[in-house]
Amino acid sequence: MLNAFHSPQSVALIGATSEIGQSILKALPQDNLENCFIVARDPKRGAKALAEILPDRTKLTKVGFHAEKTQSHQGIVDQLFADGDLDIAIIAIGVLGNNPDLNAAANALEVMNVNYVASAHLMLLIAERMKLQGHGQIEIISSFAQTRPRVDNFVYGSSKAGLDFMARGLNDQLEGTGVSICILRPGFVRTRMTKFLPEAPFTVNSDAVGKLAVKLLKDGQPIGYAPSILKWLALIFTLLPKNVFRKISKRK
Amino acid sequence: MENIESTGWGRTLRSNSLEFQPRSLEELQDFVGTHESPRGVIAHGLRRSYGDSSLNIGGVSVDAAFLSDLTFQQGTGMVTAGAGVSIGTLEKASLARGLFPPVVPGTGLVSIGGAIAADIHGKSHHITGSFSSCVKRIHLLYADGEIRDLFPEGPTANHFWATVGGLGLTGMILEADLQLIEMKQASVVVEETRVNNLDEMLTLLSASDKGFQHTVAWIDLSGDFRGRGVVGKGNYSTQTSAVEKSSPDKSKDGISLPFPNIAGISFINKYTVRAFNEMWFRKPLAKGISSIDSFMHPLDRIQNWNRIYGRRGFLQYQFVVPEGNEDFLAHVLATMKDLGAVSFLGVLKRFGEGSPAPLSFPKPGWTLALDIPPQLGNLEQALNSLDSQLCARDGRIYLVKDARLKPEFVPLMYPRLEEWRTIRNNMDPRGMWQSDQSRRLKLC
Repeated sequence: MLNAFHSPQSVALIGATSEIGQSILKALPQDNLENCFIVARDPKRGAKALAEILPDRTKLTKVGFHAEKTQSHQGIVDQLFADGDLDIAIIAIGVLGNNPDLNAAANALEVMNVNYVASAHLMLLIAERMKLQGHGQIEIISSFAQTRPRVDNFVYGSSKAGLDFMARGLNDQLEGTGVSICILRPGFVRTRMTKFLPEAPFTVNSDAVGKLAVKLLKDGQPIGYAPSILKWLALIFTLLPKNVFRKISKRK
Repeated sequence: MENIESTGWGRTLRSNSLEFQPRSLEELQDFVGTHESPRGVIAHGLRRSYGDSSLNIGGVSVDAAFLSDLTFQQGTGMVTAGAGVSIGTLEKASLARGLFPPVVPGTGLVSIGGAIAADIHGKSHHITGSFSSCVKRIHLLYADGEIRDLFPEGPTANHFWATVGGLGLTGMILEADLQLIEMKQASVVVEETRVNNLDEMLTLLSASDKGFQHTVAWIDLSGDFRGRGVVGKGNYSTQTSAVEKSSPDKSKDGISLPFPNIAGISFINKYTVRAFNEMWFRKPLAKGISSIDSFMHPLDRIQNWNRIYGRRGFLQYQFVVPEGNEDFLAHVLATMKDLGAVSFLGVLKRFGEGSPAPLSFPKPGWTLALDIPPQLGNLEQALNSLDSQLCARDGRIYLVKDARLKPEFVPLMYPRLEEWRTIRNNMDPRGMWQSDQSRRLKLC
């Protein structure tokens, strides 16, 4: 249960090796934190990193999973609720793909399956369980890239746009149930995943994203950008004529 | 049943639950006896508990308002009061018969069920003890749908005392027999004294407990936090003229004003609190006869005063620490000063003996209550640190005011918790009675 400071007792980080996910946990109030579920393909690696972040009193439960094996999702979610209420779930799984051409067909399946299919499916399953307990927050990592298709990463952008779209619809449906979705739309974040890419304007570190993500949760805001200024850039991007947008969005 | 959002009096925690408003006792019994849900049921009265004691997120909340009967037993001073009756209503009806509850809290807007479930206290604690001292029978609805009478002595005594202070987790209190005291006047002879620091306040409170039925101090939690304030003392009036001056019908001292809900804005900051506290400290001191209502329930003159803290609400930190730990009180004041935690409501009182209930809050020592807005930086860590020191000093937090205590502190503050759990599990083996607080603090 959350206390009066919005400090959670039980949290799940799905995609526990994600640097953004870890930064969110780092920024969360930890005084009240008793249980943390570390869900990752390699949960030991996630646990090692989180053990340095979280207080000793927090019980770390490692849950191994493969995001693309969607038939295992229900069992994973059941484990998160086995010992009682889950206050906050952070879904931080996401890939860019290994092919240098981010829009190559060879990349697309994995990107779509992990970023959209698996994330959205887990979000729906967790929301159903949280509805039964009458409370809970799910934070998903969308992206600034979902604002408008860009030539250099429209496959990735479309996977995040799908997730974002579903999260907004689900959040509306959940009104009055005590459960809510927070959509975080980071711009370019310096992480292992992006180190091969040229930095974009308004690039931030994952710690800054974590702080903004926690503020969203605490204030109960449904959507937030990291950094916040991207909110206005998104508006401008949406309004730009197509030929102008195409020209400026080519990074190469 | 309708799904509604509720909050405690402090408005820091919100909870969606199904609200059940039974039309009859039979309907309630049928519902409880057959209800099956992992989120359980909790009863609520007027929702004056500050945190989540009366909330049951994802479960069912039963409104006790329909339990509104009051039946006076001729010539005995005993009244049978429904759990949904407010203390204020009981006071008025009692005064009309020359009677009065021996223990009343700082607000008349607490239900009888809530008063027993929290084993509330008042300004008279050093003489009368807590509310349970006047409870002679509890009519309790068990999780199996059966209703049983519990008494403070005899074979049902363990269930009785587990229910007193039991936060509604042993069953739903339906009605209670209360032993009232004779009261010919609806007034109190009041005397207020200004004090300049904490030492003076403690000395005066200790000395006043010998000669006064009611004692309490308002403490200034702003400025230099030295503990200056006003000590209020009172005895029930024995002057005949007092009856005419302040009959029960006029006991409200005029009007009760609603506090406006202005877009959730907070009116609490260091300037407003400093100005209010300065004015309150300098106000003309009361001396003479005051109506019972204005002396006992000064805050009831402003309805919904909890809105003054705005959308984010407020915490009330109330603890008791045994005598000999007066330095801890000074330490709390210093901590609040460091945090910038100004408050217009700081109340200090010396408790007398505690009750036999395992989860009853009062015990001999000093109790300090302060209202604090939760958004202050490092407040959570600072209060956790104070809690830890409280445990070491044999002190405890008042659970019905709590919205943030860490569960590991509860058995240290309430060493009879395990004994209470055993009785409670025996009374409710299905775990039907639950609240957000019972889950948060792992009480059951």
